[in-house]
Amino acid sequence: MTSYSGYMLRRFGQFVLVVFIGINLAFLITHLTPIDPIEQTISAATSFGSTSPEAIAMMRQALRELYGLEGGLWQQYAAFWKRIAVGDFGPSLSAFPTPVSDLIWRALPWTVGLLSVSTLLTWCLGNLLGGLAGYFQKSSMLRFAGVLAMGFHPIPYYITAFVLLIVFGYLWPVLPITGGYRMSMPRGFNVDFILSVAQHSILPVLSLMIVGLGGWFMGMRALVSNIVSEDYVQYAELGGVARRRILTSYIMRNALLPQVTGLAMSLGAIFNGAIITEQVFGYPGIGTLLVSAVHAGDYSLVLGLTTVSIIAVSAAVLLIDLLYPLLDPRVKVR
Amino acid sequence: MSEGAAPAPVLTVTALRAYYQTRLFGIDRDVRAVDNVTLHVNANEIYGLAGESSCGKTTLIKTIAGAIRPPLKVQGGSVEFNFHGRRVSLYDKNAPDLADIRWRHLSYIMQGSMSVLNPLRRVRNSFVDFAFRHIHKPMAEFLDTVRAHLLRLHLQPEVLDAYPHELSGGMRQRVAIALATVCRPEFIIADEPTTALDVIVQKGVLTMIREVQREIGSSLIFVTHDMAVHANLCDRLGVMYAGRLVEEGPTAEILREPRHPYTAHLIASLPRIGDVAPKKALEGTPPSLADPPLGCRFHPRCPLAMDICKRENPQMEWVGPVHRVACFAAQPGKRQ
Amino acid sequence: MWQVLRDLLRYNREFAVGVFLLSFVILIAALSFLAPHSPLDSYVVPPDLPPGWPYVLGTNSRGQDVFWQLTCAIRNTLLFGFAVALISRVLSLVIGLIAGYAGGWVDRALMSVNDTFIVIPLFPILVLFYFVMRDRMSWMTLALAMAFLGWSYDARLIRSVALSLRAREFTETSIFSGMSMRQILIQEHLPYVLPIVFSTTMNNINWSIGLEVTLSVLGFTDINTPTIGVMIYWANQHTALVAGIWWWIFFPVALVVVTFIGLFLLAVSMNEYIDPRSRLGRVGA
Repeated sequence: MTSYSGYMLRRFGQFVLVVFIGINLAFLITHLTPIDPIEQTISAATSFGSTSPEAIAMMRQALRELYGLEGGLWQQYAAFWKRIAVGDFGPSLSAFPTPVSDLIWRALPWTVGLLSVSTLLTWCLGNLLGGLAGYFQKSSMLRFAGVLAMGFHPIPYYITAFVLLIVFGYLWPVLPITGGYRMSMPRGFNVDFILSVAQHSILPVLSLMIVGLGGWFMGMRALVSNIVSEDYVQYAELGGVARRRILTSYIMRNALLPQVTGLAMSLGAIFNGAIITEQVFGYPGIGTLLVSAVHAGDYSLVLGLTTVSIIAVSAAVLLIDLLYPLLDPRVKVR
Repeated sequence: MSEGAAPAPVLTVTALRAYYQTRLFGIDRDVRAVDNVTLHVNANEIYGLAGESSCGKTTLIKTIAGAIRPPLKVQGGSVEFNFHGRRVSLYDKNAPDLADIRWRHLSYIMQGSMSVLNPLRRVRNSFVDFAFRHIHKPMAEFLDTVRAHLLRLHLQPEVLDAYPHELSGGMRQRVAIALATVCRPEFIIADEPTTALDVIVQKGVLTMIREVQREIGSSLIFVTHDMAVHANLCDRLGVMYAGRLVEEGPTAEILREPRHPYTAHLIASLPRIGDVAPKKALEGTPPSLADPPLGCRFHPRCPLAMDICKRENPQMEWVGPVHRVACFAAQPGKRQ
Repeated sequence: MWQVLRDLLRYNREFAVGVFLLSFVILIAALSFLAPHSPLDSYVVPPDLPPGWPYVLGTNSRGQDVFWQLTCAIRNTLLFGFAVALISRVLSLVIGLIAGYAGGWVDRALMSVNDTFIVIPLFPILVLFYFVMRDRMSWMTLALAMAFLGWSYDARLIRSVALSLRAREFTETSIFSGMSMRQILIQEHLPYVLPIVFSTTMNNINWSIGLEVTLSVLGFTDINTPTIGVMIYWANQHTALVAGIWWWIFFPVALVVVTFIGLFLLAVSMNEYIDPRSRLGRVGA
């Protein structure tokens, strides 16, 4: 059991390192660039409309506090961490004076929902189909699925989402192409609202799946076609073990392990995709918020979103890592 | 067949040919891993199969076990089992489904048994997967049978709760042997079952194999390149070289008086107590099976090579009541 | 080398299709040098003409010829991908080879950092970078930033190969013959990992072009250097789809998709050629 807690400890250490390096990157980018971010931000934030001089002064003050521009670089560094530790990124500049954390909390559930639903669907479906394609290599239908996967996989999230938007927005308008639910509808926990949310999530989920499926499909297909020649599979075949059992418990089960690790490794990239997709479909999550924050020059919101993204993604990775020993008994030894 | 009144052999292999067919960048190649092999294994007998690595031993074994997958292909010949009168021909047109024969009648102890157990399944589940459908008992009784079998093989029943990686190499091999024998099959194929083990563990595993073979009275075909193991274990011995069987006979007779120069070389390389002469290595390497030499495949390395060896392929001929050899130098009357 | 290429072309369908698609894309990019107008000039041709003669792919609302605009855009996009791949290759080679060769705590430390970069969501960081840089954001700074962020996945791959090379006998021989680590890595190990580097280059170009297109479409890059993404950005700014000027969007999207598929097929077929395991699978077919 000690080696299991050793594994946990190592994974947790990696999590801390990811957050540490990520936040430092954000600090470096914001503090070591030759541009004065405060004036830059203020000019960007105020360029869209008239802002009262008092508000500008408040903004300047808020920004100074946020940057902790008083003091040397190390003091600024300490102040930066302190803000992150208490989760206080100051007031938003575009939605002044709503705190940035409020905005993020409002958007986060949408992104988490979209991301987890689409990722789970994609991962399960891709692995199932890929596994079958690796096992039944002669099936022409699965071969065709392989060609499709190959064709769609390299296309980036933005293009796929964009094409779906064109198809369902202009050519065949049957699905809602923007928003997270019908605008006129009051938010609440009832069937109509949930249906509306589900309907609005079809296109974002679909575009994330189209891009994601191919990777899992091809990965699983390759893994399975290698595992088929492993000793324990051949032995089970020689032993006349039932084919269903061989396919599920001997082949798929073993091939899934690297795919779980792969999921942890690609979560960051999937998150990027979700952000982009949200923006295309105006989905009310982190991504849309981030893009509009950049356009509005909302420095504190951009910084807050970046930080939260880093922490959220690495926490999700940590979760997968900690669940992994449930799937692989050997982790306790390694 | 030479037998008349003798009980029918459990396994009869006739003129078996199995090739690896490859096609890379448009070039077809045949690797003749098993070329015209004829042999039989009697009831209650341990038959040893010897030869260097990549001489076709493992391919022959795979073919006998019905474990053919591309690129390996059976080109001709037959493999026939006789399980107490139930005849099964593997490469017939109307070959039966092997699933209900496997493990009940024909089981397998594989090379590198370290990796033959599914790493993600407890040993108990492996036993259930392999044997449950052959032992017609409810699960609880089935597990009792398994436990009794393990105890008979001096294994603690607790291994059932372990994952393979929690067992040592020797232990895993013992569990694999227990798994292969739990249904008391008539025929067991053992492919280098001791190769990866250290010497002490090896001895224990060999003793165990012999004990269990005696106990359930099955036939065993035992493959290894280690002549010392053959000397200790096998009743009869077949020697393979470059995809062909070159000599076959009772183990003691072959060890005492090998007829084929290749067998002689294999035996000469065995260490003996008091032997001080340096071991002589055989010159050259085994031929490529994709492009074997004409005539006798051993002739480029053979100290006795004659002209005919370069042109004609020697057939297996009887040189004793149960002793066959494929060598012109050893066959009287064929000399030129 | 040439023989390998010829065999691949003849017997590997994916490779052949990939080469064909990429050659087509490169040809289009090469035509940019014959462009009659600078891609930055606007209102040089009548606006909003559908595809036809003499404006094969039509003209856009800014009075530019879509075809010539496209040649220039794809050239810049390809160059961008290539620059990112080149720089990040150097990083991943150095880090991967050293980690694999040195082993021990060096390996652990480098791989911890490496895994960090794999996990961190890069898109928000790039957005933050643009947010701070704003108008100073140029083609080159973005390429540098992305190269600095995009080496990690391939470094892990190279490291695993280097790890197995380290265990090979010839490495021992080199050490005993007195070669320095730098010599061993460059003279002995580099040739072995180069094929992998080639296939990861294709994937990396894909990755960087994908991100570049995304960032440009959102307007988060230097929107005055025409790339495929910038072209779509301007089309969106002029609401080209609503206005029915579909050719302004369709052709850049189609061309960049062709590029992606071509690069990806090359990477896949190279992988298959390198990896003996999948090659064995092919032998059976």
